[in-house]
Amino acid sequence: MEALSNIPWGLIAPLLVLQFVLATVAIVDIVRIHETRGPKWVWIIVSLFVNTLGPIAYFLFGRKNQ
Amino acid sequence: MQQFKALFLKEWRESVRSFKLLWIPLVFILLGISDPIMNYFMEDILKAVGNMPEGFMMTLPEFQPADLLMASTGQFQSIGLLVLIAAYIGVFSRERQNGTATLIYVRPVSFTAMYASKWMVASIIAMISAIAGYAGSMYYTALLYGTVDWMKFFAMLGTYCLWLLFVMAVTVAMSAAFNTSIAAAVTIVIISLGLFIDSLFGGFWSVTPWKLANYGIALLTDSVLLKTYWLTVLMVVGLTILSIVLGIVMSRKNMRQLKI
Repeated sequence: MEALSNIPWGLIAPLLVLQFVLATVAIVDIVRIHETRGPKWVWIIVSLFVNTLGPIAYFLFGRKNQ
Repeated sequence: MQQFKALFLKEWRESVRSFKLLWIPLVFILLGISDPIMNYFMEDILKAVGNMPEGFMMTLPEFQPADLLMASTGQFQSIGLLVLIAAYIGVFSRERQNGTATLIYVRPVSFTAMYASKWMVASIIAMISAIAGYAGSMYYTALLYGTVDWMKFFAMLGTYCLWLLFVMAVTVAMSAAFNTSIAAAVTIVIISLGLFIDSLFGGFWSVTPWKLANYGIALLTDSVLLKTYWLTVLMVVGLTILSIVLGIVMSRKNMRQLKI
């Protein structure tokens, strides 16, 4: 526990929050969109577990327009 | 002008509804703030990763604020530009492929207005992203390392926005000229491979368009001759205008490729 409290959370928190927001936006979009390129559940797993690059990959390659 | 306004609104709505206005700036902010934080904690990271031999000593360089901004610029130039190019490479070609273009081309629409609307929206999103990214980078740099001269910082920001205008003009022009995959390849060769080659052999000459972002950073430390800087700016502006003309001509010529 001591190791955890030694981390300067004030500095790191924004980084974590931004990654969280990015992943949330991606997942909300995957759930609401009609169809994605490739199966939806794969994109949800990728966006959840691959930091930063997962959501980017979804928006660039997985998202179908119309 | 009326046409331009309508087309501009259409492109803007498309960018908002596909979340481009949200996720591209987020990516730039993440890229911007990761470098100052990483370098600040480098000693702890090396300790935690471990496997250092007993008595291993390493002196990390003392970073100046301008060095951190340079590192962030490097991230924008490699990953950020790829993201921007990939996000906007389809603006013309994908419309031709999926048939949206038929709905537009049946009206007497001006190709100048069409190119301008697409280019403007792409550039505005790119500039918002770059400004957000540099703001994040500068915030952490100021917090952890110290500040730079603000006037020079804004000059650097303006230079980078000019470079992004050029990149987006090339991207949209290539999208007008070829279909999506060829356009992506050509744009990445022009921009990313160009940057790579220029960083390898750039010592032999001083004025190329790919050096503009580095000269913007060099403004912070006064390590660039103003004459070469302005020549580079002029060259980039000239090439931007050339790409715009090419894009308008090619988008009119490729009207025939339309699938119905």
